[in-house]
Amino acid sequence: MYCNQRPEKPGNKIEVFEKITNMARANSLWVTAYGTGCGAIELRPLHTSRFDMERFGIAMRPTPRQADVLIISGYLATKTLKRVIRVYEQIQDPKYIVALGSCTINGGMYFDSYNTLNVLDKYLPVDVYVMGCMPRPEAIIDGFSLLMRKIKDGRAQGWKHYKENLDYYRENQKKIITDWDLPDYNW
Amino acid sequence: MSNIISIVVTIAASLIWGLLLGGISRTVTARIHGRMGPRVTQNFIDVWKLFRKKTSIHHGGMFWMAPMFRITGAICVLLMVPIVIGNSVTWNMSFAGDVFLLIYIMFFGCLGMALGAGNSGHPYAVIAVSRGLAQMSSYELSFSIAVVAIAVGLHTFRIEGIVAAQQAGISSWNIFRFPFASAGALLAFLPMQMAYPFGIVLAPQEIPIGPPTEYSSRFLSLMFSGRALFGVAKLVLFVSLLFGGASSWLSLFVKTFLLYMYPVVVSSVFPRFRTEQSIRFLWFVPTTLALVDLVRVML
Amino acid sequence: MIDKVMKDLEIRFPLLQLVREQHNYLHVKVDKASAIDAVLMAKTSLGFKTLQLISTVDRLEENRFQMTWILENYGTTSILLISADFPREDCIVPSLSDIWPAASAFEREIFEMFGVSFPGNPREGEDFLLEGWKDIPPMRRDFDSEEYSMRVFGERQPREHTDPRQYIGDIVGEWNTPMGAKRARKEKK
Ligand code: SF4
Repeated sequence: MYCNQRPEKPGNKIEVFEKITNMARANSLWVTAYGTGCGAIELRPLHTSRFDMERFGIAMRPTPRQADVLIISGYLATKTLKRVIRVYEQIQDPKYIVALGSCTINGGMYFDSYNTLNVLDKYLPVDVYVMGCMPRPEAIIDGFSLLMRKIKDGRAQGWKHYKENLDYYRENQKKIITDWDLPDYNW
Repeated sequence: MSNIISIVVTIAASLIWGLLLGGISRTVTARIHGRMGPRVTQNFIDVWKLFRKKTSIHHGGMFWMAPMFRITGAICVLLMVPIVIGNSVTWNMSFAGDVFLLIYIMFFGCLGMALGAGNSGHPYAVIAVSRGLAQMSSYELSFSIAVVAIAVGLHTFRIEGIVAAQQAGISSWNIFRFPFASAGALLAFLPMQMAYPFGIVLAPQEIPIGPPTEYSSRFLSLMFSGRALFGVAKLVLFVSLLFGGASSWLSLFVKTFLLYMYPVVVSSVFPRFRTEQSIRFLWFVPTTLALVDLVRVML
Repeated sequence: MIDKVMKDLEIRFPLLQLVREQHNYLHVKVDKASAIDAVLMAKTSLGFKTLQLISTVDRLEENRFQMTWILENYGTTSILLISADFPREDCIVPSLSDIWPAASAFEREIFEMFGVSFPGNPREGEDFLLEGWKDIPPMRRDFDSEEYSMRVFGERQPREHTDPRQYIGDIVGEWNTPMGAKRARKEKK
């Protein structure tokens, strides 16, 4: 069942409530288990007893319906971007994007590839970048703690930005996805 | 009025206790794996966060009803079981229930869940539901036979009577008077809690999280609370049936805690059965054990 | 084993080139007309039952595509490479997908990446890796990948200098201390 209306503006929330909820959100980040590039290799050790991301309340969910965070783990092919947009829009608000590796920042070592996009921020709103090629698990945990700090302060508003500037993002997306066959509004 | 207060107290206490038990079990599992593990309060945080997320995906009537069914089933069981003996607040309606009504209501909760998951239309959910129902039909059998053995032995089907008959010291607990039936019932307790080696419903390797695949935000939050309530309801039922009931709040907490840790510990050291292995095991071993006691009691 | 294969192939086909890379590893080059016959004969009478890969190399300077079929005989663990040259313009190669169904995937990929068409492949032209590709096939050597990337995905704002001092100097602060500044001045001279 698709919605065929533009996304409505998120309404104002009671501030105290929102603060408590932000604490809860920061301490229970659920990640969509979806790896797009080689950086996904270094995500796996995060489950293990050595790095153990469950102690921050971070858990993997197999479906976007239940997740909060989408990790773009490295280079993104145009074909994958289509699926990623689909996944991102099915995640329920509020949602955050963590981008790993230099590929998502400026193309990295695939800057001249015919099939991988260079600047991810043009197509999807990124909340936290993690540097490195590829980032070590420690760096990813550091990125997550930055995300948690941003959420606690109420600064992780990428999803609102996406809704408000939907036209800009859609234009960019349609420019590189030449056979656009997704529903235009899909919430 | 006092009825309403007692119902609210019962439900709130069991919800908090259930979520806390879930958090403790996650920590214990993590420590067995050699990890730090999440906070003990992690489940509260999860439920609150999920409750405040936007909910915009649903799949029809039964999909809405399923979490309600589950919570209703759990609350009914809680109200029918004497939680703390002689305590006027938590005695609720336990004078009215008999054991078969309880088993039926428990089944009703799971069935609602199955219908809701089926309505979501996700193939993983449907596979999980068919596995779950197949497994349920096998462990319910041994559990029912164990309950019948106990009831025949004590000459009462009333849960109140069963509890009252166990008040003469530890040696009068049903687990010592009916050891085989209790063993059968405790084996059936593992699949009830979806613990490994019987965790074929939520099997993360094949059908990632099984029935609730399509459930999001608020539905999932309700589902989690329902699972916590249901867990406590089952624990209280088992404590009343086998471990002499609870004569004070402290003994209730200790008994339910120990009983809850049993599937957690078993589950974190065992691999998972395949569907047919699990069902074959449940049909033969616990059922036979329970039958031994039933025959003994009848003779 | 390989000796017998060599002899059989030599009798049957005018081999352009025959290299024995290892004791169980043979590379033969045939002309374009007999390429498919050679592959079929290797399968039916020489025991190379498994198709491992179909690969293409773009020899832009010589204006040809070099197609290679890599076959393996699991019984004797020997590998046979059969390659042939095809002209670069409107390159047409017969399909093998009715003999090895797996060949269909290789052929679709080659069609997409090099523009080589395989008449007889039932799924030819279906999207394989690229969806909605409008340019010339990207693995051809006359395709300018960097120009395409800049045009479609935009500039990537590269750094102009590679001296880390320019970027991390301010943040790390070491270069701002008097000692650091002195050292920097000295190095400049
Ligand atoms: S940044 Fe490096 S590791 Fe990450 S996707 Fe790009 S090339 Fe791979």
